[in-house]
Amino acid sequence: MKPIILQGHERSITKIVYNREGDLLFSSAKDKTINVWFSLNGERLGTFDGHNGAVWGIDVDWQTTKLVSGGADNTIRLWDCLTGVELGCLSTQSAVRTSKFSYSGTSIAYSTDAALKQNCEIFLGDVRGDNLRNPYMTLPVRDSKVTALLWGEVDELLIAGFENGEISQWDLRMAKEVNNICEHNNSINDMQTSKDGTLFVTASKDNTAKLFDIDTLECLKCYKTERPVNSAALSPVYEHVVLGGGQEARDVTTTSTRAGKFDARFFHLIFEEEFGRVKGHFGPINSLAFHPDGKSFSSGGEDGFVRVHTFDQSYLDYRFDVGS
Amino acid sequence: MPVADGNITSWADEVDDIEEKKSIPPPTEVIENGLKIVTEYQYKDDKLLKVVRTYKIENRKVPKSIAVRKTLKKFGKSTNDKPGPNPATTLIGEDVHMQFITNKEEIDKPDDDTLEKLKNAGGVVKCRNCNGDHWTLKCPYKGSALVNRQEEKKIVPGLDDKTKPAAGKYIPPSLREGALKKEGGATMQRPGLDGTAIRISNLSESTEEQDLEQLVKPFGQTSKLFLARDKITNLCKGFAYVHFKNKEDGERAIAKLNGYGYDHLILSADWSKPQGQN
Repeated sequence: MKPIILQGHERSITKIVYNREGDLLFSSAKDKTINVWFSLNGERLGTFDGHNGAVWGIDVDWQTTKLVSGGADNTIRLWDCLTGVELGCLSTQSAVRTSKFSYSGTSIAYSTDAALKQNCEIFLGDVRGDNLRNPYMTLPVRDSKVTALLWGEVDELLIAGFENGEISQWDLRMAKEVNNICEHNNSINDMQTSKDGTLFVTASKDNTAKLFDIDTLECLKCYKTERPVNSAALSPVYEHVVLGGGQEARDVTTTSTRAGKFDARFFHLIFEEEFGRVKGHFGPINSLAFHPDGKSFSSGGEDGFVRVHTFDQSYLDYRFDVGS
Repeated sequence: MPVADGNITSWADEVDDIEEKKSIPPPTEVIENGLKIVTEYQYKDDKLLKVVRTYKIENRKVPKSIAVRKTLKKFGKSTNDKPGPNPATTLIGEDVHMQFITNKEEIDKPDDDTLEKLKNAGGVVKCRNCNGDHWTLKCPYKGSALVNRQEEKKIVPGLDDKTKPAAGKYIPPSLREGALKKEGGATMQRPGLDGTAIRISNLSESTEEQDLEQLVKPFGQTSKLFLARDKITNLCKGFAYVHFKNKEDGERAIAKLNGYGYDHLILSADWSKPQGQN
């Protein structure tokens, strides 16, 4: 496969997301801009300019009309996906680490970092009527910092991954924390759901990625690697998980430069066994996303590039050999 | 800025003029047979470079919502981009392949498929070495003693389809050819395990264990291979001992390898004799 390299950022990529149909790919980086690309040919549709600091979390609603982004400039912003117009902007007390649309696209959830005297908090906001109003609900976070956020089934559950490896689940109807588990022993960098929204996979700095049931938070599978995992994505069509990571950017110069540490690694969902790797980035992969048709995937790396890979026939024909 | 009327111009302007004189042909864009060919010219290190980019135009059927988005106006920093990918932001990377970690055979499958087809066509694929139905290049006996010998079948009766690895079907050793014979005569005179060992001598210095293994593999199963090496140079001393599991295999190996040309030397092979007799 010949990957398409998207060069729209000057600094490392923080997050990439596809829209529901998969024709658009959004990317955010530490360099203030958000880009949107046609995933098929890599053409840039536009940029969303306005943030004044690194952009940490972006998400697009299911109709591809709105984009929400949160950044280190202490703002959360809402954009018109298709024209790049800023619809709203709210200031927060500290940097916005994650931002997520609910499944229905009527609400957003975002979390802020713990900074100075400011505690980490999760906010829920209503985005109907195309503007950004003050959050209608605030969920206090006890001791750690939220690093990944996810909406559960029918917008009733909210799941947060923390810097200390814990995962918490809130029931939004009661605004109450209903479940808390500690399966990871280091920061959770990313959480992504399966296509049907019943499972989610976490990517953790403790060198593992784990598969959980979204309802019960039961840990179902564990994918082990020998380096921090920054992102993990579930294939929408096959029982595959792709993991991306590498050493932390600041450690790269002080440790071995052996090639092969920055590969996207494909694991079988059930057998937890690695079966394939795709090379390309020359820095750790920060964010991974599967195209909703499962025939291509993209990765955004610390090197500032987004690579869009369309799978070869050999991958689509590949069957995991159970006997071996 | 053109030099006109004989006015005195500053040297800086003149430099600009020279630059302009090296006129760059205008970029062209041709669309034909579903291909868009963009030709651009640029200077690099005082050389005129012609950059030709060929894009394939594909028509795809997509849901309405995607089609609508395809017609959107570009915005932000891309406002001034022409239709189609802008080479400044979109590059095509080098070809990469997914490296499969287990199941390596799966990747080779296409090869087997052509072989399979030809096999079914009947007698098209024939190995020039052993007459088996595989490519000569992939002959399992390549480089071994059996290569290219017409009399192979007569001398090596055990090497029929049954024992070829290519045949695939497993036959227990007790049912293999030679096993029955052994019960009759061979067991009586066999002095012990050593009786199945043969000595191959006049091997070249460069012989390695793998070469030896390859050389004797076609004759039957071996229990031990010993290649004598020089203590200091670690090169082959010129002889080796091979312990076969069956005496018949040893017999055949001797018959075949004695006088066989291997690596520009003529080998000699015989039963291994107790020390002192050699």
